[in-house]
Amino acid sequence: MTREYWKWPESRWTLNDIDWRKANIITAGIDIGSVSSQAVVLCDDKLYCYSNNYTSPEIGDNAKNTLDRALETTGLTIDDIQYIVGTGYGRDNIPFANATANEITSHAKGARFIFGPAVMTVVDLGGQTAKAIKLYERDRIRDFTVNDKCAVNMGYGIEVLADLLQVPIEEIGERSLSDSEDPEPVSTTCNTFATTETMGLLREGMPEHEVLASHLFAVAWRLYALIGRISPEKEVAFTGGLAKNMGIVKRLERDMKMETSMSDYDPQLAGAIGAAVVAQEMLASR
Amino acid sequence: MHRFKEVLDNRHEYAKNWKARTGGKVLGYFEPYTPEEVIYAASALPVRLLSRHEPDDMTDRNIYASCACARDIVNQVALGRFDYVDGITYAEACQWMRHAFISSQYFQSFSYTCDIFVPDYVDGHRSKDVMYSEMKAFKKSLEEWTSNTITDEALDHAIDVYNTNRRLMRQIYELRRADNPIVSGAEAMEMVLASQVMDKEDHNRMLQEVLKELPRRSHAGYPGPRLMLVGSPTSDANLERLVEELGAVVVIDELCTGSCYFWNEVIPQEDRLLALSLRYLGKPHCALKDNNWRRRPAHILQLYEDFNAQGVIIAKQIYCHPHGTDNPHIWKILRERIYPFHFLERDTTVPEREMKTRLEAFINLVEPVRVKLRG
Repeated sequence: MTREYWKWPESRWTLNDIDWRKANIITAGIDIGSVSSQAVVLCDDKLYCYSNNYTSPEIGDNAKNTLDRALETTGLTIDDIQYIVGTGYGRDNIPFANATANEITSHAKGARFIFGPAVMTVVDLGGQTAKAIKLYERDRIRDFTVNDKCAVNMGYGIEVLADLLQVPIEEIGERSLSDSEDPEPVSTTCNTFATTETMGLLREGMPEHEVLASHLFAVAWRLYALIGRISPEKEVAFTGGLAKNMGIVKRLERDMKMETSMSDYDPQLAGAIGAAVVAQEMLASR
Repeated sequence: MHRFKEVLDNRHEYAKNWKARTGGKVLGYFEPYTPEEVIYAASALPVRLLSRHEPDDMTDRNIYASCACARDIVNQVALGRFDYVDGITYAEACQWMRHAFISSQYFQSFSYTCDIFVPDYVDGHRSKDVMYSEMKAFKKSLEEWTSNTITDEALDHAIDVYNTNRRLMRQIYELRRADNPIVSGAEAMEMVLASQVMDKEDHNRMLQEVLKELPRRSHAGYPGPRLMLVGSPTSDANLERLVEELGAVVVIDELCTGSCYFWNEVIPQEDRLLALSLRYLGKPHCALKDNNWRRRPAHILQLYEDFNAQGVIIAKQIYCHPHGTDNPHIWKILRERIYPFHFLERDTTVPEREMKTRLEAFINLVEPVRVKLRG
């Protein structure tokens, strides 16, 4: 069987130290993205469980399956959750959500939950979109920017690259950092041009790690141009699936001349966590 | 109110009916610097060639990588939608519209074409003289084409009709200054767009009727944050409608297809063509014409403050070079005053979902804590 290099592992997790029956407030956030979907449950102010899956074409079922998977083995059911907020591009198609929040708000709140209140700039590196969000106190958005129609080689583009080079997607970032200096970047204007150029470099016999470095340098270059529009301020936090790609993160840190915040949480959960935080706020404002 | 949208949606039928009714000629124009009064005085109907934003597979062969407006006008010509248009004129503006003006002639033969030079430095020392001489040449060529002599009386009448229209549109826009405007941004944009494809006397009658009806309109509840729209020309009110569906209200625009089209009047003087020259040179600067003597930033800020806006949406057509060049300066002046703004790029087709997310987030930015409840 042909190996699928683009596949990243789906996951689920429960914090067994918490007894959800003792929680005063139980909320859930569901983030239906273009490539991946996440469901998280917050018990009071703690992350209790989550799941992280591929997005399937049937969004309603997809949302239900993602939440069911998060709730597996916990004994918790949808009926026990007091408020559910949907976010992400599929947010309007989650039939059991009580409300929806747009993903810019969700990522802002999720990043503050994950990385702490000192975060002033959030950069979400998603499957198809990149968002740079600048914040005031109390999670209020000060400025934001999003890539337009072009996907600027976000998560989906990296999946294509993994298959093209036959490098497991989790290893792309680290392998691209083998040399201390980057080669010239491939096209910085277009994902499709960049992929074509990458194939050309391979044919010319460039070593694999240099091809990866050239490609990820171009991705970081484009992202840096996007982030620069909002004049990022410290602390900076990266969220989304590509925040796990050190090849992009390290290059962006170098370009921005700033180190980014670190956390034990999976940064891909930020949108869903933010939606669950919005759900808590909705309950509190009732 | 809905009649303006009807005319806009059925603009080709309207023009065909006008031709059948009057026997006059229709002159299509590309840019708002076209002195419409002179056309009107020649008993022809000036019609702005507006795009439709339909996907097409034809224009890239002729007009590659131009803005969606220019490409789509050529597409509409190629599809025969402007088959009633007898002549076309281009008053010097952006290169994309010049491209559309030239490319359109490959797809349809026109009995009249005219290229009017409008100085890029509209406030320059010689601009008035240049515009005046272009105006005289334009008048002469129109007289030859239509076989109608353009008399001073006809020019006076045309100026009166157009100034009346400008005054009435200003009255409509003034209503949007209210805390709870009784005219939405989408409605106002449809009115001003309709005026560009109609006989102005018909449009004036419709405006007068609407202005009588409007005081009876009941005020809705709180309309949401007040936004201003700035940017490239458009041919519909879809963006305004989307913003207003998301719970905000567009209270003012600075578009050449919107307020800039009618904002200033012709100040009558003995030499009618000179009066017209000064009116067109003195209109709110478009991004292309805002050069050494910059008036556009001050105009935007004035509108923002007069209409009590709380944020600005800057919507540029993709590949629109005048606005692409001017935008960094507009961003700068808005940032200096801490006026919130968001920049969008429009194309022939725009993914509504993606645009909706961004507009929602911008409305949240202007007025925080907005979550959409279901059911």
